[in-house]
Amino acid sequence: MKKRMFCLMLALLVLLTATGAVFAEGKTIVYWSMWSSSEPQAIVIAEAVKAYEAASGNTVDLQFKGRTGIREGLQPALDAGTEIDLFDEDIDRVNVAWKDYLLDLEELVKANDYEATALPSMIGAAREVAGGSLKSIPYQPNVFNMFYNVEIFEEAGIEAVPTTWEELLAASEKIKAAGYTALTTDDAYVMTNFGYQLARYIGEAGVVDVVTNGNWAETPEVLKAAQDYEDLYAKGYLSSTFGTSVWPTNQNGEFALGDVAMYLNGSWLPNEVKGVTGPDFKWGCFAYPAVPGGKDGIEAANFGAQVFAINKNTKVADEAFSIIEYITKGEFDKKLSVESVGIPADTTNAEWPEMLSAVKDVMAGLTTRYQWSAGIENNPDMTPIIKENFQKLCTGKVTAQEFVDALEAASK
Amino acid sequence: MKRNRTMFIVFLAPALILFCAVFVYPIFRTIIMSLFKVENITSGMSEWAFVGIENYKSLVNTSLFRISMWNLFRIWLIGGLVVMSLALLFAVILNSGIRFKRFYRAVIYMPNIISAVALATMWIQFVYNPRFGLLTTTFKNLGLDSLAAINWTDSDHKFWALLFAYCFGMVGYHMLIFSSGIEKIPQELFEASTIDGASKPQQFRSITWPLLSGVVKTNITMWSITSVAFFVWSQLFSMVTAETQTITPMVYMYLQVFGAGNVISERNAGLGAAVGVLLGLCVVIVFVVTNRLIKNDDLEF
Repeated sequence: MKKRMFCLMLALLVLLTATGAVFAEGKTIVYWSMWSSSEPQAIVIAEAVKAYEAASGNTVDLQFKGRTGIREGLQPALDAGTEIDLFDEDIDRVNVAWKDYLLDLEELVKANDYEATALPSMIGAAREVAGGSLKSIPYQPNVFNMFYNVEIFEEAGIEAVPTTWEELLAASEKIKAAGYTALTTDDAYVMTNFGYQLARYIGEAGVVDVVTNGNWAETPEVLKAAQDYEDLYAKGYLSSTFGTSVWPTNQNGEFALGDVAMYLNGSWLPNEVKGVTGPDFKWGCFAYPAVPGGKDGIEAANFGAQVFAINKNTKVADEAFSIIEYITKGEFDKKLSVESVGIPADTTNAEWPEMLSAVKDVMAGLTTRYQWSAGIENNPDMTPIIKENFQKLCTGKVTAQEFVDALEAASK
Repeated sequence: MKRNRTMFIVFLAPALILFCAVFVYPIFRTIIMSLFKVENITSGMSEWAFVGIENYKSLVNTSLFRISMWNLFRIWLIGGLVVMSLALLFAVILNSGIRFKRFYRAVIYMPNIISAVALATMWIQFVYNPRFGLLTTTFKNLGLDSLAAINWTDSDHKFWALLFAYCFGMVGYHMLIFSSGIEKIPQELFEASTIDGASKPQQFRSITWPLLSGVVKTNITMWSITSVAFFVWSQLFSMVTAETQTITPMVYMYLQVFGAGNVISERNAGLGAAVGVLLGLCVVIVFVVTNRLIKNDDLEF
């Protein structure tokens, strides 16, 4: 008898589920996100999606894949025909590596007057990287520049942030005299220092030419850039573990704990170390300095964003775009900015988190966009070799000339 | 008994089909793929461009790949010697009748049940930390300032730091395999030899070691397979961008198939497949050589 009742209940349950599926109202949008579910960005996105569901009657199948998950899994899934309507990742990866899967968003943007309250520099960057047409919507904008501890600068008596290499040396001397170390970095970011320095001399295109064609010895600016860092080491401005500590050792250690004044990093840094610095840490940011006779100045930096993109084969493009608007406009954009200590994507959210207020002016002065590390990592077969030799240069184990010779030999 | 061919086919077919689909087909596809330039790992065969043995030539001529193979060789040989020696030593000690055997065995095996991510974080952020790490503070307290000043994660020390951390976690696994082999040896042999006056080292040399040859072979093969697949520890010790001291062929393959770090680099799954074929060959060679050198059917017990 019990068995029969159980079977009856089970049959009823199956029937109800089936009828529910048939008569359910609204559409289903599948969204693969690059965040991990416990990150502040993911928590706000989940809230925004819930609000969208309540307002629209549609259902969102939201899946947090994490960085590696989406990087490895999205393209094979799309190739296999998995239904994914909306996804997000870094601006370059989406627009370059996954360009064949993107829906052109120009019409949707126009129809919804999206650009009226979007950051023009970010929309411009998204268009540029996609070859002229808008195929992704930026959010969580970021900029990669020099972050510093304002209290150390004040204590050292530095009145204005350095804009030239000479000024950086002078500021570093004052910082050293005050009992602090001027600069630090971790292994994950060490290459960006050399990329920026070389790009200041010969521009990003020059850097890419050097790393892809192996013109290390043939380009005299390589030696100059190396000598600049050799000089920083010789004068005692660099941390003794500059670029050799495994990330985030120095970021969370000597920088966040107030032993070192400067760290070349992205605007995500305050969020990453807020647990160590506490709320009283005074954040400053300035553009990586210009070098004498250099091609680029402080107007150039790597800036970008995470972007949303819609699958070109989707049947719910309007709905997917509405979700993008929910996350990147108004209430949830503001919340995303506050919770993740990030830059708002909506221009009506004019108030930036206190920790990032110094970034605002730096960002406003940028006109030239570098790709990641100004192109110094563009040859994956050389990146580890450049990294090893630059680490040695910055810890006094090789000279600038030996650095250039080693790279010239390795690239031939 | 009359043989029923239909029954043979019916019972064998599912296993055979699955074996072909899961093992044989991927192996052949990988070998074929290694002769093509393939941009995406999921690209259809119509998009593949035939390049012959160019991928293999490219690997041989790339210094970074040669560095990665050298790292793999060092991990396999040096790490293998250390891990096998310690694993065997612990297994012999644990089976020599000591008290609290199960407790010690659990302690030595414990790193295997902890995630590699947690273990690597412990080593990097606690043991090797240049500011307040275990090594730095211990050496400072002992007055050994030159040792305390060593940066364990710089390019001169990172490989050894990585290898030491990795071996720490691997000893327990191989110790268990040795231990199970030793437990299978009849106790009467040890008892008889004890009565005859044999010491523990003599018992090891004349009884344990000869009767363990099959287990040694298993351990070497298992170690070779895990070494060839060395990836996670390397990634954890060099986040975002690879390094010469930690790169292994598997990491190199990953860079070729999925792109490198934060840059959008050219991808070639064909090159990745060529790396896979070479690694497969390495394991086969080790297996064949081990089989030739170690005979396990000379003794029966």
